[in-house]
Amino acid sequence: MMRRKEAIAALAEGRNGAISVAAMQAIMAWHAAGQAATDHLDALGCMGSASSLGLGIALACPDRKVIVLDGDGCVLMQLGSLVTIAAEGPPNFYHFVFENGRYETSGNQPLPGAGRFDFCRMALAAGYRQALGFDDAETLRRSLPQVFGSPGPWLIRLEIAPDEPVTPWPDVTMAEQIKALRASLQGGNA
Amino acid sequence: MTKESLTTQPARAIDAQAMLDAIRSAGITHVLTVPDTHQRTLLALLAETDRPKLITVCTEDEAIGINAGLYIGGARPMLLIQNNGLYACLNTLKAIPLDAGAPTFMLIGEHGRDLTRPSRENTERSVRMLEPTLEAWGVPYYRLESPEDLDNFGRAYRQCQEQGGPVAALVGAPTSGVSRSTIKQEER
Repeated sequence: MMRRKEAIAALAEGRNGAISVAAMQAIMAWHAAGQAATDHLDALGCMGSASSLGLGIALACPDRKVIVLDGDGCVLMQLGSLVTIAAEGPPNFYHFVFENGRYETSGNQPLPGAGRFDFCRMALAAGYRQALGFDDAETLRRSLPQVFGSPGPWLIRLEIAPDEPVTPWPDVTMAEQIKALRASLQGGNA
Repeated sequence: MTKESLTTQPARAIDAQAMLDAIRSAGITHVLTVPDTHQRTLLALLAETDRPKLITVCTEDEAIGINAGLYIGGARPMLLIQNNGLYACLNTLKAIPLDAGAPTFMLIGEHGRDLTRPSRENTERSVRMLEPTLEAWGVPYYRLESPEDLDNFGRAYRQCQEQGGPVAALVGAPTSGVSRSTIKQEER
């Protein structure tokens, strides 16, 4: 089992210009890794919506890869979104799900059914093109070029150790990020 | 906000084709829907065209998120939902259109409406609470009570794009026109 920070470092190294959308505890880790300054959006105050935001961007920008850094509780909150994503089937969509079996932000309460469900099987059953799970950062790091080299929608389950929640949120607002990302995607003309 | 609902005129159907024309005139590229019984004839027309593209989703929360993502990527999307769907997605409405200001245009059917009564005088809770709910959350809305109100569609969409945030257009009567399901029923 890896630490979130290790998985984030691997994803930062392998990102290669992809647009990113982050949720909950991935947000500050992604900011701390220096990945949130450009082409990034935080899903703030809308637990479960990161993958929908990412889907919309992926559909509008088919020439750009979109990575979503999601939480296990977030996915459960909008589980139907797996079916919607699969139905649209964007090949540029990569859904990373950090799984620690906890609602970490609210104080590490256990998820319902923690350890008994399987996100990879759920995603494939919903119609995702590919799914894989990783529990160590080095294997994840080595595998990312292969993942990004094949079409999605992908779900990549990242088994991470429970941690203490990071409670502060970024100084930048979601409104500011939407404006900046829209401008960036349209060559500064938004 | 418009207050046409305070009149005692019964709501009258707007033709689905006229509504589709209004959608196209506004330059809308994508319609995100959790299907609305009230607007099924419009949905039937949308299902037969790629202009705009119809995307059916599982929840209104998803519709709001995808709408914002499409907007960020340069598209001109909108939502087609029903009154009960609005109630189902209030937290996401709070976060993405209201707090983050993502333009979110919602065509909302008043499912269950007694057409002879103003919206907020209906006995059906999901109908009479729609305007008060939108007002409580600070969501501007326009009424589409009859074919003469169709210009409100363009006004509402323009306001949404210019000011950001959510704007709703409320469809008082079921859209008219023959839906494919109606045709199939008649063929049986």
